[in-house]
Amino acid sequence: MPPFDNSTFAYPVPEPILTAFDDVWTGLGQPGDWWSGAERIAIAGVARRAESRSHGEQIPTLAELDSTPNPVISPLATEIAHRVTAEPGRITPEWGHEAVRLLGPGRYAELVAVIVLLVPVDRMCTLLGRPLEELPTPEDGVPSERIPSGLGDGGAFVPWAVDGWVGPNVARALSYVPGDNRRRMELVSAMYADSDEFVSLMWDHRSLSRPQVELLAARTSSLNECFY
Amino acid sequence: MLLRASSDATDGHADLTSAVGEGRGDGVDHGRVLLQYAEAANQVSPEIASLSDEVLDAFGLIGLVEAAATVSVFNGLVRSADAIGIPLDGVVLNATAEQRSILGIDEYAGAAQSRADGA
Repeated sequence: MPPFDNSTFAYPVPEPILTAFDDVWTGLGQPGDWWSGAERIAIAGVARRAESRSHGEQIPTLAELDSTPNPVISPLATEIAHRVTAEPGRITPEWGHEAVRLLGPGRYAELVAVIVLLVPVDRMCTLLGRPLEELPTPEDGVPSERIPSGLGDGGAFVPWAVDGWVGPNVARALSYVPGDNRRRMELVSAMYADSDEFVSLMWDHRSLSRPQVELLAARTSSLNECFY
Repeated sequence: MLLRASSDATDGHADLTSAVGEGRGDGVDHGRVLLQYAEAANQVSPEIASLSDEVLDAFGLIGLVEAAATVSVFNGLVRSADAIGIPLDGVVLNATAEQRSILGIDEYAGAAQSRADGA
């Protein structure tokens, strides 16, 4: 049985959300383009344990950290996963470019992807009083290390889709790892708005109106100090 | 920007300072409880249980699920944006300049990424 069957929630979660969650969970433990299944699950584990550190706390620079796996992912990858999960509002361009330089654009993009796939699922479970789903068992296999065609510099820390791109930047953020990006946009479509809903300023088919949803979204962005 | 645009489209004229914690959700129906829910949900504070009940009373079961889904998915989106260094789309960058300055959003660490993009 898929892990996110509606019977596991105390509230009526729409089927597209459950389907997106199941898709995320299936993909989490599979080898990605740049990390193995075991490494992806290790990144997810770091994300689940990450807590924001106080501003006075001593944090090593990325260049000081070992990039050797220990035991599954390196201290460098662990620190980057911690920052992305628990302290995203402290990410500066200098930190971002350094992280990409040390980890490589593919590994960096996929590390971010694992976190941004996990966080919405875990948060939704927590808010609706459902225990967190156990992380999936990693599947065997090696990363493809395939770089998608049509990528280029668009002003972000990593290359993203540029050839013929039409749409908001957020939709191409993780185009370096297209499988995970597809899952991410499936989550966005199910939990927030699909492309048709996005361009409509008046929603009359939901319990919440568009301004009510945007108020929740804007406050969430601000609490996380997100400029975008 | 979408809060302002959608609110204007429905003649609500939302108080945008609510987004940065300085307002009470004026101009949005049940804005106060939604703001309180968003704050508790982002911090996963103990108040989340009672605020969930308030959202439930105001919007019903599906409304509570929609509110939880919105906060949850935006917790992913903000991390995508900050970690990838997404520059603000040009149209939005120009249309929101005054509001960003007034609300203090230009002070966020991620703002430098959009200035580097040509702002």
